[in-house]
Amino acid sequence: MDDDMVFDPSLKKKKKKKTGFDIDAALAGEQGESTSVEAPAGTGDVDLPEDDNLDLDNFGKKKKKKKKGVFNMEELESTLPETPPAEEPEQQEDEVIDDLDLDIDFSKTKKKKKKKNIEELVLEDDKGEDQENVEDVSGDLWSGTDRDYTYDELLERVFDIMREKNPSMVSGKKQKFIMRPPQVVRIGTKKTSFANFTEICKTLHRQPKHLLDFLLAELGTSGSVDGNSQLIIKGRFQQKQIENVLRRYIKEYVTCHTCRSPDTILQKDTRLFFLQCETCGSRCSVASIKSGFQAVTGKRAAIRAKTA
Amino acid sequence: MSIQNLNTYDPFADAIKSSEDDVQDGLVHVRIQQRNGRKTLTTVQGLSSEYDLKKIVRACKKEFACNGTVVEHPEYGEVLQLQGDQRENICQWLTKSGLVKPEQLKVHGF
Ligand SMILES: [Zn+2]
Repeated sequence: MDDDMVFDPSLKKKKKKKTGFDIDAALAGEQGESTSVEAPAGTGDVDLPEDDNLDLDNFGKKKKKKKKGVFNMEELESTLPETPPAEEPEQQEDEVIDDLDLDIDFSKTKKKKKKKNIEELVLEDDKGEDQENVEDVSGDLWSGTDRDYTYDELLERVFDIMREKNPSMVSGKKQKFIMRPPQVVRIGTKKTSFANFTEICKTLHRQPKHLLDFLLAELGTSGSVDGNSQLIIKGRFQQKQIENVLRRYIKEYVTCHTCRSPDTILQKDTRLFFLQCETCGSRCSVASIKSGFQAVTGKRAAIRAKTA
Repeated sequence: MSIQNLNTYDPFADAIKSSEDDVQDGLVHVRIQQRNGRKTLTTVQGLSSEYDLKKIVRACKKEFACNGTVVEHPEYGEVLQLQGDQRENICQWLTKSGLVKPEQLKVHGF
C-alpha cells in the first residue's frame, strides 16, 4: 500500500521514458483522437511511481467505475507529451554546454565554436526534417517516375496504411493494464495474506487455480485460498514482491505475445496451454507452470525424524 | 580409400544426447526459497551434467562468500544450493564464465 496505488503491470523498471522515436510520437498523436471515450481516467495514468499524487487522485474514480462493474482494463496511454517536440534535445545540449562553461574553466572560444556548430546542425536538421515532411505528405513519390522506391519510403508507406486501416492494432502497442494493486498483509510472523487474490483473478480473467499455481511455484512456497477468498501464503512477502510476480504472470499468461493486448483467452490443449488473442488472432503456446526443484528447508530434526 | 559420403553419421546424435542430459527444457532455473525468518536459499537447477558441479559450488562459495552444496535429485539431477539470495551473483557468474548463455537462464522468485 505504500507506493503507487495504481498498479501497472507492464511497468518495466522505469525505463523507456525518453525515447524520442517518431513513430511512437505519431501514434501518440493518433491515440489522442481515437481514444477520447476512455480518456478522462487515462490522463493521470502515466504509470511511473513518481506520479503518486495523480494516481491517488484517479484511484477514487477507478473505484467508482469498478463498482458499476465496468472493468477498465485496457486503458490507453494518455496523450501527455511523453515525447518532447523535435527541437528540445538540441536545446538541452546547449544547456549542458553552458553548464560546463560555468563549472569548468575551459577555453571559451572552443566552446563557442562547438555551440555554433551545434546550431548549424540544428538548422540543417530542421531543413532535413522539413524535406522529409514534404515527402510524407506527397505519399508515393516514386509513382510515375522511373526511380526505385527507397526502403524508408516503403516503410513509411506501410505504416501509413497500417495506421489508416487499423488504428486499434497500432495503438495496441501502448495498451496498458490498470488494475488495483495486490493487497498484501502479514499474518503473524510466518504467513502472508494476499487479500484481493480472487478479485485480481477476475480482473485478469484467469482461473484462480492457474494464478495460484504460478504464484506458489515462483515464490517456492505453499499456500491456499481460505474461506474469505483470500490467499494465504507461507512465508513473508511484501506487496512489491507479489507485484513483481504478478507482472511476470501477466506478461506470460495474460497479454498477447504478439500485440500485447490483454484481451486473450487461455486454453488448455493436450497438456499445453495456449494463449489465444482476441484482438489480433494470434495463438501461441505458453510456458507450463512447474515448481521445479524444491530444497528441503524445514528443521533438520524433523527431516531426520521423517527419514529415520 | 574411403568415400566420405558413405560414412555413417547421425546428425541428430548431439540433439538426442542433450535432450537426455537435461531432464527439462534446457533452461537453467534459478530460484529463491524462504527459510526460517529472513533467511533465503538460492537453487540452480538444470546445469549440464557435463559440468563438475562440485567445482562450481566451490568457486561460488568463495566468490559470493556464502555456503553451498550440491544436491542430487532423482528427477532434476544435480542441483546447486547456495545460502542467501545469490540470484544476481550466480547469473552473472554463470554467464561470465561462459557455462550458460544468458538466454538459457530463467530466474524465478519475487
Ligand atoms: Zn494479439
